[in-house]
Amino acid sequence: MSEIKVTINGVSVTGKSGSTILEIATENGIHIPTLCYDERVKLYGACGICTVEVEGIPKLLRACSAKATDGMIITTNSDRIKRSRKVALELLLSDHTGDCRGPCMLNCPAGTDCQEYVKLIGQGDYKGAVRVIKEKLPLPSSIGRVCPHPCEDACRRQMVEDPIAIAWLKSFAGDADLASDDTFRPDIEPDTGKKVAIIGGGPAGLTAAYFLRTMGHSVVILEAMPKMGGMLRYGIPQYRLPKDVVDKEVAEIESLGVEMKNNVRIGKDISFEEIQSSYDAVVVAIGAWTSSPMGIKGEELEGVYGGIDFLGKFALGETINVGEKVAVVGGGNTAMDACRTAVRLGAKEVYVFYRRTRAEMPAADIEIEEAQEEGVDFRFLTNPVEILSKDGKVSGVKVQKMELGEPDSSGRRRPVAVEGAFEDIELDSFIMAIGQYANTDGFDAIEKTGWGTISADEHSFRTSIDNVFAVGDATNNGADIAIAAIGEAHKAAIVINHFLDGADIPYKKPYYVKQEFTQEHFEDKPKQHRVKMPHISPEERKTNFEEIVLGFSEEEARKEASRCLDCGCHDYYDCKLIRYSNDCDVEPERFEGEKHERELIEINPKIEHNPDKCVLCGLCVRVCEEEVGKNVLGLLNRGFDSVVNPMFEDEQTQEFCTKCGKCVELCPTGALKLL
Amino acid sequence: MKIVVGQGSCGIAAGASKVYNELDALIKAGNLKADLTITGCIGMCYLEPIVDLYLDDGSLTRLVKVSQKDVQTIAQAINESDFSLLSKLEVSQEDKEILDKQTRIALRHCGVIDPMKIEDYIEDQGYGALEKILKTGMTQEDVIEEIKLSGLAGRGGAGFPTWFKWNAAKESKADKKYLICNADEGDPGAFMDRAVIEGDPHNLIEGMLIGAYAMGADEAVVYVRAEYPLAILRLENAIKQATAKGYLGDNILGSNFSCKMRIKAGAGAFVCGEETALIESLEGQRGMPRLKPPFPAAAGYWLKPSNINNVETFANVPWIILNGGGAFAAMGTPDSKGTKVFALTGKISKGGLVEIPMGKTLHDVIYDIGGGIRDNKKFKAVQMGGPSGGCIPEEKLSTVIDYKKLGETGAIMGSGGMVVMDESTCMVGMARFFLDFTAKESCGKCVHCRLGTKRMLEILDRIVKGEGKDGDIELLEELSISVKDGALCGLGQTAPNPVLTTIRYFRDEYEAHIYDKKCPAGECSALVTYSIDHDKCTGCSLCARKCPVDAISGQIKSPYTIDPEICIKCGDCYKVCRFDAVKIN
Repeated sequence: MSEIKVTINGVSVTGKSGSTILEIATENGIHIPTLCYDERVKLYGACGICTVEVEGIPKLLRACSAKATDGMIITTNSDRIKRSRKVALELLLSDHTGDCRGPCMLNCPAGTDCQEYVKLIGQGDYKGAVRVIKEKLPLPSSIGRVCPHPCEDACRRQMVEDPIAIAWLKSFAGDADLASDDTFRPDIEPDTGKKVAIIGGGPAGLTAAYFLRTMGHSVVILEAMPKMGGMLRYGIPQYRLPKDVVDKEVAEIESLGVEMKNNVRIGKDISFEEIQSSYDAVVVAIGAWTSSPMGIKGEELEGVYGGIDFLGKFALGETINVGEKVAVVGGGNTAMDACRTAVRLGAKEVYVFYRRTRAEMPAADIEIEEAQEEGVDFRFLTNPVEILSKDGKVSGVKVQKMELGEPDSSGRRRPVAVEGAFEDIELDSFIMAIGQYANTDGFDAIEKTGWGTISADEHSFRTSIDNVFAVGDATNNGADIAIAAIGEAHKAAIVINHFLDGADIPYKKPYYVKQEFTQEHFEDKPKQHRVKMPHISPEERKTNFEEIVLGFSEEEARKEASRCLDCGCHDYYDCKLIRYSNDCDVEPERFEGEKHERELIEINPKIEHNPDKCVLCGLCVRVCEEEVGKNVLGLLNRGFDSVVNPMFEDEQTQEFCTKCGKCVELCPTGALKLL
Repeated sequence: MKIVVGQGSCGIAAGASKVYNELDALIKAGNLKADLTITGCIGMCYLEPIVDLYLDDGSLTRLVKVSQKDVQTIAQAINESDFSLLSKLEVSQEDKEILDKQTRIALRHCGVIDPMKIEDYIEDQGYGALEKILKTGMTQEDVIEEIKLSGLAGRGGAGFPTWFKWNAAKESKADKKYLICNADEGDPGAFMDRAVIEGDPHNLIEGMLIGAYAMGADEAVVYVRAEYPLAILRLENAIKQATAKGYLGDNILGSNFSCKMRIKAGAGAFVCGEETALIESLEGQRGMPRLKPPFPAAAGYWLKPSNINNVETFANVPWIILNGGGAFAAMGTPDSKGTKVFALTGKISKGGLVEIPMGKTLHDVIYDIGGGIRDNKKFKAVQMGGPSGGCIPEEKLSTVIDYKKLGETGAIMGSGGMVVMDESTCMVGMARFFLDFTAKESCGKCVHCRLGTKRMLEILDRIVKGEGKDGDIELLEELSISVKDGALCGLGQTAPNPVLTTIRYFRDEYEAHIYDKKCPAGECSALVTYSIDHDKCTGCSLCARKCPVDAISGQIKSPYTIDPEICIKCGDCYKVCRFDAVKIN
């Protein structure tokens, strides 16, 4: 067979005469997407995604069938091709009902594949679970303990009874790994010779370090505090996250070859400019360490603390005498940490003042409940207006009673003062935990937002300085939960890796097909409540800083993990439709219209067909007819209502079908499933 | 005296069978002395039933719109030789001229001979072309050369040179080849092929035999839609007769050329008019198009070299062989030769079938032959090529009938459907009608057609309902281009044409629907309200009696009123009012 020369996307390649364009492109490593082509069956031409442009031919050609001829000039990625491909995919998605990923993963700011690691825990593969977690998050033991778990908020199991205890399962897996002789070691790429400095050793900095190191870069973390861990160490009390857990997870990262330097404060011990010029890339992950003032009279008095400062001082081992009566202002997790720490420091009366009601409190429910169990007195609709003093020290507080008015821009009802309703309360200490912000001293060179935070692009994490990236609480909208900072750090690491390679590729939010579920979907599911996490009683725990929760036993963890509903599509990783859709930046909502809602079709007891995920590529029908010689499947109806269906009545189908599974194997989406 | 009753489907629908039976009864009873025969459609469907009286001297008296009750008068006129009795039934001079303005090749026997009698066909040079080829030793190449010289192009719509397809099929080496006639005429408003088969089936058989000879096929199949029972009946009869006479079968006319022919009735899927889907259907498969290449000329029916032509294409072939390719090529334009048959329908005064030389203008066809628009309304556009074609507005009526020139307007020559629209036709609604057709007829195989036409239809649906959104026109345009580019077969590739041409020429109508929530033609029921002009209303009560929902009330002989809350906007009141009192707002 003679050889022909063709040009594909400007590159001259050769192939056998008689070959199709697709064959020649594939032989030469040029990918042309297709949904309906498979070399095992005859050509079909349904999907129209493999179309290419050929010079001199006005029509688009299907690469799967068009024969290449000598001298042909072929383009596979012109704007016209991309548009056509994008529209085809959007049209398919406009009538595609699927659930690409579980809601847990979608709701995790770091995109952790909760469902997968929960499954692995259920199977007893804890190392596997840690491997999956550490694809997104290198601190499972710590984060599992402290995360307010948006994953669980989204978990569909709560439509049956309770959500899966995803966070606790995560720390269970992390702990199991840390306790083993051979902890999980990620693969590390060969050294690239590039140097990255990370300023800040908190969750974001540690995450960035972990991923950039695995990518083969030389990484140093510069931390102002005496130890690594950031807020995990200095902001979260020991009873929630023991310091030795942080130590161990930091040590794991250090053991990958990450250099860690403590007690280095930028602007004091070294200038930002020096770092910026000595490293190929710099990540600023300095967090938000300064408590927001309330702007009321008496804030300067002895016995008045900022929430974060209070927790930090205690973590550093400083002696704090809070006295017997302590008030904490604020409704977030820091306020809860502060009030519960005050309880443990021996305060007899601990108040929390919050100007709205319980329903509006941003702190995790469990934190509020546990604080109440420990005797904290919550005063809702109460707003301090003046700190009272005696001899330069706090003696009390004047509070204003509030009521809820109209909703504000955040949707929460605005608290409004009740005229003339004031109360004085006696106090020894007053802790303001109403917010925190970044201290950017030493980072004058970087552009700030109007809020005073570091301005960083949402997709590229770039700052105003070329090789400087910024993530976490110090940037843009300010403080958020740790997993959000971790998510940014992971994405930034990927962007920085490209940057170090000379490419500018911002992070792109993946497209997923999503499906709404209601309680009705799970009506038949037998109830099996969440495994209770054993924990220390309030009386026992309020006098010390021992960790409250005791952790799941292996049996409990596996039982809990087995409750997972296994949401998401079984074929996500192999699904060509979702892969191409992401390649093409689809916007299928443009073509929103009638959408099928069809029953699942049981082809045989082992194979199930979901017509609402089917792209009608015909591969299953063809492979059954051509390769298996059985004709079990056929096409029914016409046009928009076409559907793949067994050709015969149930009994005959059972008789003909050899259950070879070839149809499932060739299906480019998750429409066919082996049960 | 010979009496010929037009018995095409159009004539029968108008009552020709009753007229025929009545005449037949009179003759059988001895009350009328005449030979009674039938013929196919002459093309003037608006005048059916037509009865032609051939006097013994050969002169013709054509009677039109004949009803059963006229039969006695006809008998009396003949018996008494007093044809003045028939003056009211006689065709007008103006209508007579319609035929004179045409050049009939494909339709030359239609409405003239009796399609059930091979003798009638033979008498007018029938099977003469086949005899010429077989008896004068014309080779396959000679025949193809003659067709090439004629410039005959595929009359199914695409206009691909016929000789090229024949030659490609001839050049394909195989032990077996097939010739297929595509008579799956499915465009709404098109009936050219039906008329040819019903009116002159032997002409089709002869044309097909010549094609089979040229390419070397010994088996021919006519794929006719089952909705044409009369065509199937007459073709079956013609095949039997031709076989009996030795024009079909083994060693035709004593030559080495053998060819058998059969009919396959299609089950009514529009896409089976696409040649590869037609082949799939012939093979007993689901009617879905195949990928091309391979083209049917290389691997078609049962993967053997096959050639597929449309009915009208074949109907031209005997004439070309008899008169020479040059005579055919002498008619038309540099790009388009010969004649073309059109089915004139819609808001035209004189709807029917016409055959004219290429090169005439659309204006010639619509006004000179078609008599312009019905009811003194204003012409708006003509849809050429059915759902695959496009509309042509008034300012383009001087466009000449030519594949290229029509293509430049955004429409196509198509198979010959010409649907004429007047000022009361909403162009968005028209595009929606055709999209509804193609979306329903999409086989579902390829993504662009299956889902693209569906989504386009949904957008058009919301526009005509007054729910169109800013950006819908652009979205329609984008989808149109993608569907044209990405669809697998002609159905999908051309489906957006009605949308694209209406946007091109009537964008303002789209904009009025979307932005002003108005239908300028007053046709989209969601966007109009009906009211009665009290100055014009005579209180005849006709509208109130017609109203299906009792939305119209009033006292007889005083003006009536429509209750908009009850009105379902069916438009019946508007149609029945004789005083122009019902207004569409």
